[in-house]
Amino acid sequence: MNPLTLPVTVVSPTDIARLLREIESIDNFFRQSAIRQSGTPNALPRLSKLMDSFVTNNQLNLLQEEDRQKISQLLSELHSSAPVLHVSFSVDPPGPYIQKIVAWLRNNISPYVLVTVGLQPNIGAGCVVRTTNKLFDFSLREYFDEKRGFFIDKLHTAITESDSGAENQVVEAPVQIKSSVQDRVTK
Amino acid sequence: MSLGLLIAIIVVIVGLTTIIIWFIFHPREAKPKKKNAIEDLTDKAKDDVEHIFNDDFREELRNRGRLHFEKIIGENAMFLQQDLRLTTSQLNEFMRSEITHVLKEEFSKYEQSINDAKQLAIDSIQKTQDTIEQQRELLTGQLNEQLKAEKSRSLSRFESHMADIVNHYVLEAVGEQIDLSEQLDFILSQMERNKQAIIEDIKNGA
Repeated sequence: MNPLTLPVTVVSPTDIARLLREIESIDNFFRQSAIRQSGTPNALPRLSKLMDSFVTNNQLNLLQEEDRQKISQLLSELHSSAPVLHVSFSVDPPGPYIQKIVAWLRNNISPYVLVTVGLQPNIGAGCVVRTTNKLFDFSLREYFDEKRGFFIDKLHTAITESDSGAENQVVEAPVQIKSSVQDRVTK
Repeated sequence: MSLGLLIAIIVVIVGLTTIIIWFIFHPREAKPKKKNAIEDLTDKAKDDVEHIFNDDFREELRNRGRLHFEKIIGENAMFLQQDLRLTTSQLNEFMRSEITHVLKEEFSKYEQSINDAKQLAIDSIQKTQDTIEQQRELLTGQLNEQLKAEKSRSLSRFESHMADIVNHYVLEAVGEQIDLSEQLDFILSQMERNKQAIIEDIKNGA
């Protein structure tokens, strides 16, 4: 039996919590249906897109209590102990963009990894990934920081050139003052 | 010739003239008559004198004296005029030379004082110039030191915030042209490079 997988549309712990509430409501519906009197109206709760994709990907049937238990158990475990990565971007990324990153993470890091998205406008480009204990800066700012030596060399070169020009101007000034005073004394 | 000598000559001339006039117009008094024969003779002499020196003769003498006096006066006046002219010319020459001498002395003193003032001004200006030069060198040194300190401080601050500054400038320049989709490969490659570290942190994380 294949283990349950999370679709890429389920991204954040909030989505997990939402799915958990939804599966609980569905479970409650069926429990109420079992004890309801005949003739009493009973409306099935509407499935969200997240739940629909989750069920479809895992080929589950929500009418089966066993499947619902599986889903509920998985979601409860994920809600309490799923690895969560916090990824910050300079601008608010669109959903499909996040889903691509989530797909890569679930293929390469962990199949149940969750992602929360943050916003840091000062990073310029790239992103900053924060795990439980570490912070991985993949931003343009970090790239420039790595190239700091190169920029400092360029800066020193520019300053040295500007200094040589400025010193020439400073040296000429006293000569003019001295000559003017000398002319005044002579007169 | 000085003015005092001229005044003395004039006084002498006026005195002689006064004495001559006095002798002319004031004859000597007759001696007192002697008693007896002598007195008679004296009286007769008086009569004869009165006879000889009558009014016409006296008038003649007066005229002669007057003419002589006029002649002397004229000669003296001429001499006096000549002396006056000579004295005046000598006085003019003396005054000219004295004034010239005094003016020369005053001018020399004035020139000397001007030279002293000029020298004083030159010394003062020289001292001021030296002081200004020292102040300028001092200020230049201080300014250069402050400039170097400020430059090094700015440079260190700039270097410490180099990444942020360059990032800011790059974003200002091409920020609008940076697209998220173009960054995806870069982000995924960076994640690939740090894949093991992320996995280990997730496994070991609390």
